[in-house]
Amino acid sequence: MAKNKKTGEAVVGKWDLSAGDEGFDAEKVQKREKIKHIVKNVLVYTFLTICAVLAFLPFYWMIISSLKVEEEFRESVPTFFPHTFQWKNYWMIFHQVTSASSTSATFGRILANTLIVGLLSTFLGLVIIVITAYAFARMEFKGKNILFAVMLATMMIPGELFTASNYITVAKLQMTNSYTVLILPFLVSVYYIYLLRNNFMQIPNSLYQAAKIDGLSDMGYLLKVMIPLTAPTLISITLLRFIGTWNSYIWPRLVNMQQWQMITNWVTGGFVDRVQPDGFCLYPSGNGSDYGTTPLDTLKMAAVCMVSLPLLILFIFCRKYIMRGVSKSGTKG
Amino acid sequence: MTENEKDMIEAEPQPEAPKKKHNRFVQYFINLGARIKGWFVDKWLAVKDVFKKKPKDEYAYSGPELSKGEKFRRGLKSQSGWLFVAPALILMAVFTFYPIIAAFINSFKIDYSSTTGAFKGWGFDNFVHVLTGDTGTAGANFVQCLVNTLVLTFISVPLSTLLALLISVALNSIKRIQKAYQTILFLPYLTNALAMGAVFATFFKIIETPSYTETVGIVNIVLGWFGIRPIYWIRGGAEVWTLGSLTIPWAKYIVTIIYEVWSGLPFKILILFSAMQSINKQYYDAAKVDGASRWTVLWKITAPMIMPQISYLLVTGIMGGMKQYSAVVGLFGETMGQAYEMGTMVGYLYNYIELGQMGYAFAGSLMLFVIIMIITFINNKITKKRTTYR
Repeated sequence: MAKNKKTGEAVVGKWDLSAGDEGFDAEKVQKREKIKHIVKNVLVYTFLTICAVLAFLPFYWMIISSLKVEEEFRESVPTFFPHTFQWKNYWMIFHQVTSASSTSATFGRILANTLIVGLLSTFLGLVIIVITAYAFARMEFKGKNILFAVMLATMMIPGELFTASNYITVAKLQMTNSYTVLILPFLVSVYYIYLLRNNFMQIPNSLYQAAKIDGLSDMGYLLKVMIPLTAPTLISITLLRFIGTWNSYIWPRLVNMQQWQMITNWVTGGFVDRVQPDGFCLYPSGNGSDYGTTPLDTLKMAAVCMVSLPLLILFIFCRKYIMRGVSKSGTKG
Repeated sequence: MTENEKDMIEAEPQPEAPKKKHNRFVQYFINLGARIKGWFVDKWLAVKDVFKKKPKDEYAYSGPELSKGEKFRRGLKSQSGWLFVAPALILMAVFTFYPIIAAFINSFKIDYSSTTGAFKGWGFDNFVHVLTGDTGTAGANFVQCLVNTLVLTFISVPLSTLLALLISVALNSIKRIQKAYQTILFLPYLTNALAMGAVFATFFKIIETPSYTETVGIVNIVLGWFGIRPIYWIRGGAEVWTLGSLTIPWAKYIVTIIYEVWSGLPFKILILFSAMQSINKQYYDAAKVDGASRWTVLWKITAPMIMPQISYLLVTGIMGGMKQYSAVVGLFGETMGQAYEMGTMVGYLYNYIELGQMGYAFAGSLMLFVIIMIITFINNKITKKRTTYR
């Protein structure tokens, strides 16, 4: 225990027991506390501001770089606001065709691929997750518990172990270069089944019996009672699955040619100032700024914006659901 | 199985006082045998528990005796759950269960060809080739990938957890504009790892023509203020130390770690911050009454209360780190630096799948699996000992 320096009496916390007759200077203590408080606050706010700036900086840099002229981007001292806005960067990446061959794809095609695969795999996946979770939560059949345990056990195995075998499987089934191959292998998600089953099991059984007495079938009960009650979880799952498809990279690259790939594959390409059929290019040769076939960082940043901004917007609007889902599952899709 | 039963099994093989004193080695083996037997009895009881008949359902049918046909019909109907799980089960059989078995079998096939299915024999050749790096192609080197993965994981995960802890403590201690800070700090939450990797690469990249340097990048400019010469952070084959047959691309390690800390922070802050918010305020009030200092409160109340979350973050972070891939590809391109100098274990698998050398891919994936299992096992051992206060 701390002791008072002068009198040697015990000090309990901030209160000096011996201070009674000498006068306990409340004002002094208060002042000291106040200064301490201010110093602490200044430090904390400075620290948080630095962190916030660093967290946001890459996004800001991505956006301003995508609007810069390539010469400005390459200036030896970087500018933090573009002198001239080059919106044509975006025009260029939309019309970018990686090569003249028929296997190359434009942005439109890639976006269509991503949206089709994303919507289909999200919807079908949700149907499978819901009915499987329902069966595990509400139905009785032989071997249910063993089956569920086996399914859960597969979660411990890293998904990368499956990739090589699945690649051989889809090649044998001749499913490559199609949407099917992007959708089928990832339809079942054991974790979401587990999550939804637990949600379903929290719904009291009396509700089921009441619905039965009112003449509702099992399917009707699932659709009219269970799904509305677990809607928040279902929305989280939907969003996370869609984001997962949006970010999928390696599987499309392995099994599909460019035409059938997804948006993340597209963004890894090198974007160059290619002369368009009508003769347009951003940096025509002859005025000292001919970049030829070197990939341009400004164009790349424009592509990066196209991939990142939808995610950012989705995050801002659906933050509640996404965070709930992620904090439960610890994964992003 | 109840605790009582467990105790009984463990106690059974060892009677209170052994009559004859054995030699120490003999006693060791006797004990070992008893433990092995105990282990089996344990598992057998667990299996029996699964198959134990459930107590009769109170809503079960209890009407008059049914005809055989009716009984069969009802029996079949009671199994209709299988119909509901069938789609998931079929898909999993093809894309989950089969691949597990196939990976185990195929990794032991010598010179396995994925197109024809032909192979020369059985053995550990794939594993030997993978470990010695003797794969006969210009693909990634397994040991290099393993070292990269371990270094990156075991630096970036603790670092980002510590930083997240600091930020959450700071965030928890302020009252004004807390929400605004929270929103901005969570922004990097949902990002495309490849896309943002490309953005980070531009911070570090030196752009130069054969004749002159155009820009050295923001980071090098800032370092230049302190008199540090420009470093080739991104360019393949630059800024490496060699260590035997390994290369240590230290500059690329730093870039990757910075990027991974940045992208890993929001999730960790979310978990830690919400854990701190849910600590009962009474503890803090009690500490205030007792006159505890800020540090004491932090180390004696906050830290123990969020210990489960910290260990959860460390474990999931390490698991995720062992499987990292897209961050490195985003930063250094599809060849992961020059000739896979920054390769990770997952990158190794994909590299050999693309090269069509499935045997090595299978062997590599099996080794990744074993490593992850070891980490899971260690984690289980550690977390069992820890007490939680909630």
